[in-house]
Formats: sequence, structure tokens, C-alpha cells
Amino acid sequence: MDQRKTGVRGEISRRAFLQGSALAGFGAFLAACTGGAQSPSAPASIAVPTPPPVSPSPSVAPSPTPKPIPTGPLEWATWEAYIDLVGKAAEAQKYAPGSSPTIEQFKKKYSVDVDYVEKINDNEEFFATLQAPFVSGLPTGWDLIVMTDWMAAQLISKGWIEQIDQSNVPNCVANLRDALRNQPWDAKNDFHYPWQSGMTGIGFNTKTLKAVNKPEPKSLKDLYALPANKITFLTESRDTFGLGLLKLGKSADPAQTTADDLQAVHDDIKPLTEKGLRFTGNDYLQDFAAKKVYAAMVWSGDLASSGTEGDTFVFPEEGVMVWTDNMMIPKGAKNKYTAELMMNFVYDPKIAAQIENYVYYVCPVNGAEDILKALNKSAPLDSYHLNLLFPPADIVAKQHNFQFLTPDLDKSLKELFLDLQGK
Amino acid sequence: MSGAAIAVAAPSRRGWRQRLTGATPYLLLAPGLLWLVVFFIWPTIQMFLMSLSSGSLDDGFKLTWSIDAYQTAFGKFPKQMGNSLLYGGLATIFDFLIGFPVAYTVAFRGGRYKNLLLFLVIAPFFTSFLIRTISWKTLLGDEGPVLGFLKHALGVVPADFTVIGTPIAVVAGLTYNFLPFMILPLYVALEKIDPRLIEAANDLYANRWAAFRRVTFPLALPGVFAGSILTFIPALGDYVNATLLGNPQTQMIGNVIQGRFLVQNDYPVAAALSFILMAAILIAVTIYARLLGTEQLTG
Repeated sequence: MDQRKTGVRGEISRRAFLQGSALAGFGAFLAACTGGAQSPSAPASIAVPTPPPVSPSPSVAPSPTPKPIPTGPLEWATWEAYIDLVGKAAEAQKYAPGSSPTIEQFKKKYSVDVDYVEKINDNEEFFATLQAPFVSGLPTGWDLIVMTDWMAAQLISKGWIEQIDQSNVPNCVANLRDALRNQPWDAKNDFHYPWQSGMTGIGFNTKTLKAVNKPEPKSLKDLYALPANKITFLTESRDTFGLGLLKLGKSADPAQTTADDLQAVHDDIKPLTEKGLRFTGNDYLQDFAAKKVYAAMVWSGDLASSGTEGDTFVFPEEGVMVWTDNMMIPKGAKNKYTAELMMNFVYDPKIAAQIENYVYYVCPVNGAEDILKALNKSAPLDSYHLNLLFPPADIVAKQHNFQFLTPDLDKSLKELFLDLQGK
Repeated sequence: MSGAAIAVAAPSRRGWRQRLTGATPYLLLAPGLLWLVVFFIWPTIQMFLMSLSSGSLDDGFKLTWSIDAYQTAFGKFPKQMGNSLLYGGLATIFDFLIGFPVAYTVAFRGGRYKNLLLFLVIAPFFTSFLIRTISWKTLLGDEGPVLGFLKHALGVVPADFTVIGTPIAVVAGLTYNFLPFMILPLYVALEKIDPRLIEAANDLYANRWAAFRRVTFPLALPGVFAGSILTFIPALGDYVNATLLGNPQTQMIGNVIQGRFLVQNDYPVAAALSFILMAAILIAVTIYARLLGTEQLTG
């Protein structure tokens, strides 16, 4: 309801900027209110002691605003199946300008354009395109990027990420889930805010498997047993090797894993590559769309949001990998303030719930859960979707984080994985 | 008017002019040479020195004159080297087999449509290389227009037959992507042939095949040479086709260099591999030129 209001007013506001900025203030104010009101259990926007939500107050007053004017277009690089879509784009499962309610609402609210690009297929592949500008101190051309924990930590430690002005992101400060706070690599969230958390497990299409008379894999062992040229693993080495460790009954914990363990995983997977196993990034979605694979290592929300009928995600018996993708502003970003506004915008629980209701990942925003359940009141979510969105205790117990490796382990991992990929 | 000006000019000025005339070739060469030095020779030297260095990206690479990188490069990746030579070679041969009839037809039968036909050869290449290669994933996909038809409509191939992720797909991609580099030089060579030579051959009782074999083809050899070099070298170093259309068993040396350079940040091995690739190409081209006769190079 409120979204529609903002939309209508947004159109009017285009005529006069002043009106627009007043509206923006109103929108933010509204967002702050709903955030507090919807979830009394998370008194986020009230109780947080440090940076108070200053952003809305100055712009609520129609008097001259000390805040900078949002500039655009916001150049946002992210992954496939990571934003809410409607209409034709939702059918095609591919973002097209104008197809995402969240982005349209942001555009109207701040009168700024957003260039949302599904550019990231895997961390290393995308990082390869940034490395040269980062090293030479040039802008990357992106204002907002979304990268997984280990890569985020590396970028931050290299000083390649802009510091976030916390006074511009009161929603983030207030609503970030406690479990995601105090990360050792950026304890105060000076440089990152999580976009989504997710899990890595097994995906397959029930119909495809039925047609070829193959059993649905329940464990990693089952997955490995399928014809190797009809399964894919991930180019994210931490996912493939993490699950590989679990498959061998080893612990996928960087503190305990040794180079020998990684070698064992390599030796376990190598015969499969000789029989045609492939490694994919987020583009496994195209393989699923084309029914090219029987089963694959996939990320938890993708098939639910962007799969076709019969596409299913299962939590392997041996366990799942867990990770978080993080929003960051690369050094030299042209529209840093707009990027911060976007971070703040998606940390409004209402917006977060709207995104979650489409992408089916694990939401980093406090207060989104209740709104999300309210959104689906008429047709309550089934346990399959609920498990993806709010992993229950038995699944949480099976989660393993294989993100942060020592430099030596990282080097062995890369070497072994390159060999598996035939490189 | 200018003649008068020269006559009036002092002898010293004439000397300056003469000296300038003497230097003209060098001055004309200067931009090209400078380009080569800055963008080829200097980087090549740097790359060579890098291949003899050791260290890491974080601590910096130091020139240690160590040949470890070459040992790794030779010891670890013979398969990918073999793949490169095989796929690059096959793509070149297929390009020749496809390209020659096309170039021949355009040159001798094209008539007033010559330019249009040549344009049609190039037109697909206005689209990005990547997009065209990715399109092959769809074209050759398991349920794509080709295999889907063969599987379901004709039933001549088994249902689990697949092309993507096999050497066939990689060679097909390479062949397609480098085809114009074969057709255009062949066309230029064939176009230059005086049709009266073929008539003369016919007059001398050569049948059509003999005329082709003894007259047309030898005269087209410079085009064959240029075309196959232009096809083979980039195909050998290509990594896009193997990445998008292949599987871990079909990776080429370009993929290894990419992995070493961007993933493992192992610059010395990447540099060594690049050097080995350059050397391999140089040797292959030399042998090829010898076999074909060096005079054919210049046409």
C-alpha cells in the first residue's frame, strides 16, 4: 500500500525537485516508522545507542538540506536471481530495467537512476575485472558491488573499499541481525553491510530425474554417483571443496582442515572431471533452464526464485555450506552517497521483506521476517520455502562456514582447484 | 615556383635537405618503431624477466634467474599444450576447408555481388565475440535447434548425446570464430588471379581439376599461408571457446595462463607459459613457411 503511495507521489515529484526531496524525506521517515512499528520484538530504530538515525530528520524539514543530492545512475554489480522481479522479467527470470519493484521504488524515492547489472557469476571472475583499476588506484566504474565474505574481507584489508558514512545508513545500523555483526574483518561495519546470506547444497529437477529414471540425490554421495557429465559443481572453490570435505566425512572448518584434506577432496573429484564434470558460476541457472543437468551444487534461493517447475534445492545429509554476500562501495565510486542510500533503503524491513519474498535467501535485516510472513498471509509459505528463508535448528546445526582460510591453505586450494578445472 | 626557390637556396640548405632525404625512411619508420618498442619489445623483455623471477604478488616478484617457472610450465601442462595445438590445428584445417570454396566462389562467381557477399562474411562479426560464442551454447545445446531436431524429430542421435562440453564444441567454436581471418586473405589472393591464366591452362589441354591444381591453387598459396597463420595463431592462444564450450578436459594453454595470472597470481609461470607459446608459434610458422617455400610469403 505504502509502496504504491510512494510511486504515485514519485511521478508528481519529478516535476519539481524540491517536492521530490521533501517526498524522499517523507519516504525515509515512513520507512523508519514502519521499521519500528512492524516489529516490536526488534526495537532497532529506537534502541541503538550510537549513530542515531539522523538522515531522515534533516530532509523531513523542507528547509535547505545539508545532505548531498543523490547522484546517478547508481552502478550496481550483483548476481543473478538476487532481486525481486515482476511481470515479464519474472517470467524470463532475468532483470530488465523497470522490472524490480524495489529498484523502481528507490528510483522514485530519490529521483535517481539505478543501473542494476547482473554481472557477477563468481567472485574470482568478477574480481579479475576489478583488479587492474584497484591496483592502479582508478575507479572501477561501479558504485555498489556484492561479494562473498572471504572476497569482501580481502578487498577491505587491501584498502580498496570506501568507508561507509554511518550517518547515511541508519536503517543498516539499526536493523542488521546480531549474528552478522562484529565480523572480525570489519567489526564495526565500516566497509560492508550484508546483502543476503545463503547456503550451498544440491539442486535438481524432479521431472528431469524422473524422465531418466535416476533417484533424487539426498546426500553428496548420491550427487557424486550420478553420471559425471550430467552434474555440475561450482567455480567457487570454497563451496565445491567445502562440500567435498563434508562428502568425505571430514570437517569443513578452516581451523581444522589441512592441505592433505584438500588433496583428498581433489583426488575424490578428479575422476569425475575425467568423465565430463563441469564447474559453473551462477550460470548454472541457464543449465537448469535448458534441462541440461541432472543435479548440481547450487545456492539455496536461486532455484526457488528463478528455477522452473520441478527445480528443487535439498540440504545434503552431510551438511551445507553457509556464507554471506556483502554490499560494498569500491574505492573511487562516483555515486557513493547514492550507494549508501541504497544500502539504507534495502535495510528497511519492509523493502527487505519484499526482496526476500522473491529471492528466498536468508535475510540479514531484523524485522523483515514478520512482514514477510504477513505478505504471505493469504497463502502461507510451505516448509520448503520457509526452510530456505529461515533455516530451522536442525539445518543450522548442519551449516559449515569455509570462508576464511590461511594464506597457505588458500594457495593449496587454488592450486588444486585449477588442476580440477584443467588449468 | 618551387624550382626557383631551390635555385636561390644556399648550398648549406641543399645539404640539409639531402640529409633530411637520407633520414626520411627512418623518420617514416619512427612512429611504427616507437610503437613496437613501447608496446612489444619492452613488454616482451619484461615478461621474459618475469618468467625468470620468483616471489608472490604480495611480497613482490624478484629477478632470481630461476628456471623453476619453465620447469613447472613444461612439466605440469603438456595436456593443455597438446589441446591447444590440436584444436588450433583442427580449427585452421576446417576453416580452410570451409573458407576456400567460399572465397573461390566470391572471387570467381561473385560478379556484382562480390562486395555484398564479402560483407555477409563479416557482418556477424559486428557482434561481440563473447555473445557469438555464448550463442553456440544455445545452438549446440542438448535440446537446442540442432540436437533437439536430430534427437526428437529424426531420432538419429541418442537422447543423452551432448556436444557442449566436448572437444567438438571447442573446435566448432574456434572454427566459427576465426573463419573470416581465413576467407579474407584467400579471397584477396584468388581475386588477383588473372582468369586468362586459367583459360590458357584449358587451351593447353588441362582439364578443370588440373587447371585448378596446377594454376589456381599455387597462385592462391600466399592467401593460404596468410589465412592459416591468421587463424592458427589466435586459435592457439584462445581461451574463451574452451571456457564457454569446453569442460575441464578440453582446457587450452590460454586457460592455464589465465588461471595462473588471475587466480593463483603466479606471474612467473604465466609469463613462462606465454613465452613457450610464442616460441611454439614461431617454430610452427617457420616450419610451415619452409614447407610452403619462403617466396610464397610475399606472394
